[in-house]
Amino acid sequence: MARKNQFSVSDRFEFLQGLVTEFQDTDSDESKEQVLANLANFAYDASNVESLRMLQVTDLFLDMLTEENDNFVEFGIGGLCNLSMERESRDQILQNGGVPLVISCLSSNRDETVLSAITTLMNLTTAASRAETTDSAVVQCMLRFSLTQNPRLRNLASVFLQDYCTREQVDRAREGIQGQSQSVVGIPLPKD
Amino acid sequence: MDSSVANPSVWDTQKVYKHHEQQNVAQTRAKYREGRRQRAVKVYTINLESRFLLVQGVPAIGVMAELVQLFALYGVVEEYRALDEYPAEQFTEVYLFQFQKLTSARIAKRRTDEKSFFGGQLHVCYAPEYETVEETRQKLQDRRRYVNRASQNTAKQYYQQPEVSTESSSTDTQASAAPEIQKDFASARRENVKSDYLCFPEQPLAPTEDVSYRLPNFTQPFQLQWSTKTTLPTEDKMGSLHNSIPPVPETSKQSASSSSSSVKERDLSKRQESLSRPVRFMPRITHLESRKRKLEETVFFLNETETLIGPKLPELPKVDMEDHSLNVTANLIRQTMTKVTSVPEVKPVQVKTTTPKPRRRI
Repeated sequence: MARKNQFSVSDRFEFLQGLVTEFQDTDSDESKEQVLANLANFAYDASNVESLRMLQVTDLFLDMLTEENDNFVEFGIGGLCNLSMERESRDQILQNGGVPLVISCLSSNRDETVLSAITTLMNLTTAASRAETTDSAVVQCMLRFSLTQNPRLRNLASVFLQDYCTREQVDRAREGIQGQSQSVVGIPLPKD
Repeated sequence: MDSSVANPSVWDTQKVYKHHEQQNVAQTRAKYREGRRQRAVKVYTINLESRFLLVQGVPAIGVMAELVQLFALYGVVEEYRALDEYPAEQFTEVYLFQFQKLTSARIAKRRTDEKSFFGGQLHVCYAPEYETVEETRQKLQDRRRYVNRASQNTAKQYYQQPEVSTESSSTDTQASAAPEIQKDFASARRENVKSDYLCFPEQPLAPTEDVSYRLPNFTQPFQLQWSTKTTLPTEDKMGSLHNSIPPVPETSKQSASSSSSSVKERDLSKRQESLSRPVRFMPRITHLESRKRKLEETVFFLNETETLIGPKLPELPKVDMEDHSLNVTANLIRQTMTKVTSVPEVKPVQVKTTTPKPRRRI
């Protein structure tokens, strides 16, 4: 706590603003990755969330989800995972149409990206957004995840199925997997 | 790996995951965003954090007890064991620690990672794959709760005057939405679970935690001592008790001049004064003067109210010097001598107390 108060709110805001500016100005992918990781880690600290929201970092993270560079995607969804814990940021992500972008991350090759996406989807689930976040394709994907060897993926998918989906949704998804109507969400494309 | 599926025990899996590997630190950071320590480019989320810590690089020289002691500094360790099957470098061992709180694990990782330990360098990382579903759920819930409590506090800091109204309105809508979700998704079991993580303070220093618990008990008697000390002789600026006489003659006077009620009353009031008065510096001359004044007062009291019991001290013998001028001189000397010695002669007890440290004349 003592370290937290070392910098005033305005200093913190200026520093974060500097990071965002560098991210937008630089041409080097390496610098971009570093700054993006910085911002995503700052999003973990609840006292920065207000500043980050004012700087529209939510949109910056969302933009990263459609990048080619896997690191950009991983850091972007990591930042969203951290930000979406807080209610107002969650609402901002929902307003800016973040759910389909987050769902697309479920098909990533990288474990961390997929895990962040699942947690973000949990955070984004509200009474209003529930239909979107627990789409049948997503539930099917979670069912598959809950059967994998990776314990972290298995645990997180289990929590999603148990706490955010109704029993009917899960049953329907199970039938879907066994029958014809399979979804491709959460299945990564083969590498070339 | 099949065994881990069949038997989902926490302690089964021995696979090396990507997040166990140490990544290369970034060498090319811009000056303004360089930290104190060089770190890899990596994003931490709650998924990566865990109460479980994997400790690699422990020298295989039988130092498990020391390792456990080291990690116990940072919080309550619920369980630990050596991971014999985990692929380790030659002559090193790998251990798994389960802390009671996530915050303890976080501090322990920060303090011990890359630190040398009995000649080896430790590599400490989170091991969330050892969590159960329930532990994962609890971890996420605690994190969410903490973030929203903390962000409400910072929001107050941000907008103290004008935007309070908008703040409250937006939280109102959230508050109305939140219970619905709770009803929909929260199972009864989940609500019954006691929270182990509770909160996520940024840096609670684990080692000092215990001390701070005990400190109040320690400080209490200390404070009492200080308050009583004001009645005791107080040290002067040089740290000696030599000049702190005033209370001492009073008490001795009480015992010596055995009790007239008026004296007692005066003493009491004086002592209360000295109690209430803060310690202040008095020059030595003032001390001597006040001492003398007090002595005179007591002499006066003795002459007035008390009759002296016992033999009188012998008077100075009058010797005839067989010369007028010599006799005059002798008389002068005698008069001054009686003047000087009259006080100690009347009260020899006080002479002792007033000069506790007779100076040696050279």
